[in-house]
Amino acid sequence: MPDQPDQPDKPEAPSRRWKPSFQVVQAGTVLLVLLVLCAVSAARTTTFLTWRNLVYNLLTNAAYLGIIACGMTFVMVAGGFDLSVGSTTTVCSVVAVLVLQGMGGQPAWMAITVAVLATAAAGVLLGAANGACVSYVGVNPFVTTLSTMLIFRGIALIMTQGGQTLSVPLALKKTFSQTYWGKVDLFGSAAHQLTVPILIFLGVFVVSVFILRFTRFGHYVYAVGGNENATWLAGINTSLVKATTYAICGLTCAIAAVIYTGMSNTGQAASYQGLELLVIASVIVGGTPLGGGAGGLFFTLIGLLLLSVIENLLPQFGVQEEYRNIVRGLIILVVVAMDVLVRGTGRKGKG
Amino acid sequence: MASAPTPVLRMQGIVKRFAGVRALDGVDFDVRAGEVHALIGENGAGKSTLMNVLAGRFPDYEGRIHLFGQEARLASPRQALALGVGVIYQELSVLPNLTVAENILLGHEPPGRVPGTLDRRTLVRQAQDVLDALGFRLPVGEPVGRLSHARQCLVEIAHAIRKNVRLLVFDEPTASLAGDDVERLFAVIRDLRARGIGIAYISHRLAELPQIADRVTVLRDGKAVGTRDIADVKVAELSHMMLGRRLTEMFPEKRNQPAEPILRVEGLSRPGVFEDISFTLRRGEILGIAGLVGSGRTEIARAIFGADRAAGRCALEGRPLARRSPRRCTARGIGMIQENRTLDGNVTGLSVERNIGIGVLDRLTAFGGVLPPRRVRRNAQRMIERMDVRPRDPARPIQTLSGGNQQKAILGRWLCRDPKVLILDEPTQGIDVGTKAQIYRLIMDLASDGRGIILISSEFFELVNLADRILVVRDGRLVGEMPGPGTEVDAVFAACVRKGA
Repeated sequence: MPDQPDQPDKPEAPSRRWKPSFQVVQAGTVLLVLLVLCAVSAARTTTFLTWRNLVYNLLTNAAYLGIIACGMTFVMVAGGFDLSVGSTTTVCSVVAVLVLQGMGGQPAWMAITVAVLATAAAGVLLGAANGACVSYVGVNPFVTTLSTMLIFRGIALIMTQGGQTLSVPLALKKTFSQTYWGKVDLFGSAAHQLTVPILIFLGVFVVSVFILRFTRFGHYVYAVGGNENATWLAGINTSLVKATTYAICGLTCAIAAVIYTGMSNTGQAASYQGLELLVIASVIVGGTPLGGGAGGLFFTLIGLLLLSVIENLLPQFGVQEEYRNIVRGLIILVVVAMDVLVRGTGRKGKG
Repeated sequence: MASAPTPVLRMQGIVKRFAGVRALDGVDFDVRAGEVHALIGENGAGKSTLMNVLAGRFPDYEGRIHLFGQEARLASPRQALALGVGVIYQELSVLPNLTVAENILLGHEPPGRVPGTLDRRTLVRQAQDVLDALGFRLPVGEPVGRLSHARQCLVEIAHAIRKNVRLLVFDEPTASLAGDDVERLFAVIRDLRARGIGIAYISHRLAELPQIADRVTVLRDGKAVGTRDIADVKVAELSHMMLGRRLTEMFPEKRNQPAEPILRVEGLSRPGVFEDISFTLRRGEILGIAGLVGSGRTEIARAIFGADRAAGRCALEGRPLARRSPRRCTARGIGMIQENRTLDGNVTGLSVERNIGIGVLDRLTAFGGVLPPRRVRRNAQRMIERMDVRPRDPARPIQTLSGGNQQKAILGRWLCRDPKVLILDEPTQGIDVGTKAQIYRLIMDLASDGRGIILISSEFFELVNLADRILVVRDGRLVGEMPGPGTEVDAVFAACVRKGA
């Protein structure tokens, strides 16, 4: 919510003093919680602080969420919202498998290249559809993406002929599954390896940071989130900026879909449900506010890591399955409530 | 009006400090029953602070307040209301989803037979009684959010009157009203006055005072500098009282030279808002547009800039401006400072450097859309230097600056583009006097460089001191033109309010 217009009628009102931005405060708190959590876990369990757990398990699982969270950060910094990422990822995954099936007879490198490009195109297309609806038609982002969440899921059902599980052709399976299972040696030995999803995530993250911080488009994303009207009056094509953030988000869904399809080698219409909430939670917990204009990718990274570490720790600390959702929900609530308390913008507001 | 005026309110020696600074420095102010007493002053003079003391929002004031003959200590808004003080804020506090009746009786709903329910029929009847007594014609069953701002204001007044309020404080009520609504509100205020209600009327618009006020008190730097009967005072004198002797020193010498036409506006119309507006702006000219609030002057400017759709043609340097939008106009070299800085100017949350740079990023960009941070910073530093924005910290979020410095930063944003035509809509609103002088000098510099300037202002003394020509807008029509230099403020004012034959 933008600040209420306050004419500075009182000289030197105390609120004029400059405090560190709220996002920095929140992200700092989250980072602190994260570090404490890691330290305690490292001391109390033998399983947490192992390369196997941290890299193969925790980070590799976080990677595909993180890729979509990068796209979501663009959308949310610009003041938008995307509930359809789960469905978009599903469609992308089905597209990937269908193209691979269709290219069964071709050489593997060619089939996979075409499949990846087609998947990317599908992701961008679906994202752009969201973007067009939000910024050119003017439908509220929540309503738009709630609707497209259903529509895209329906498209996936049709593409899989009513929900059949599609499989990647045998001839391509081994190569294609490298997108998830592939590993790269670190320090020149097989003792420490990084997985392909982590590397892809790092790539997406770096490119995203670059775009958001060092390009004109990135500046506009923040400006649109900060005050869309003022940005428009400054002569900027705000509709295009907003629509583009959704297209970027769609593209990241496509990238995540390729990785995850590589894991299971299947495409299913029922997959990735509830993904959107995990992704949005990561962005919010990091400190990018609903309404946009602030926050950013490093904040999202911190939020993502906190949620992933908790996810990883729940079984290790013996939290029963039935209690886990409560813990997850509470953590999101507590972090955001802390943010509200720090800002002091609770119900009372300022005079 | 009333033959034996009894003071309903007497404030004596009111002092209010903010972090050691005296926002109010021993102010005396009184309101009689059946009187409209206007309180005017520059932004920062302390008007709103005084009003907030009266509303009970600043319990830590010093000084004495007598209400209806008895000494009172205003410790909370609730208490002020219980004592009979009602405040109509600029931002109304009606609840848009509730009906007119529900809003009027909010907090006093008649209980129904079953405990916890309310008696809707009685509620509607009581609300109707209140409205009838006031002579307001409002649909009691309609959600307030569907009414115009002016009529919402009436609901708020009815709500206050319903609570037996005998002193009403209006905080710049005309700031968001247009045209006839202002007239209607004034009629309501006059009617309330005739009922013996005391009215404190806060404004920074001198022009409307003769229509509504009986007496006027001028605040400057937290002090009351004088109280006058409105019948005995000229608008020009009030300007001088508001600004002190600084007024003459504030304006630069006129040294711009109007040359060949640069912007032509022909037959600009927007049904119900303005009609058939045509004029020509010259290079190096400062063209003033005078008009009361709601006359359509802001809408005309927005239409030229393409922020609102309108029929009619505009041409810049002889080439038509087709399908105007802020983007196209900006690209062609037109800039516009919006009236409402918070809503339409600042990109809240972003740093000063980004706010300055936002309009010229296309010129700062290296290949492939990459934007080197150093260029953004250097561009901003140049403008911060030129515009004297303080503090000189390009990384600070813009909303942490004072109003004047925010405005200088936004002016800097447009100057980066080196516009040929700059439209300034109330550029000095809510700005301290020192910054005003800087902005006047800047306007003169820009015009002297051969740019065309359109200056819209409610402060007519700005127009007569800066503009080469003044166009008068009334009820959405151009009704006159007068030269800037040598024209009296009161003459401009008279042209703005004179009703057509």
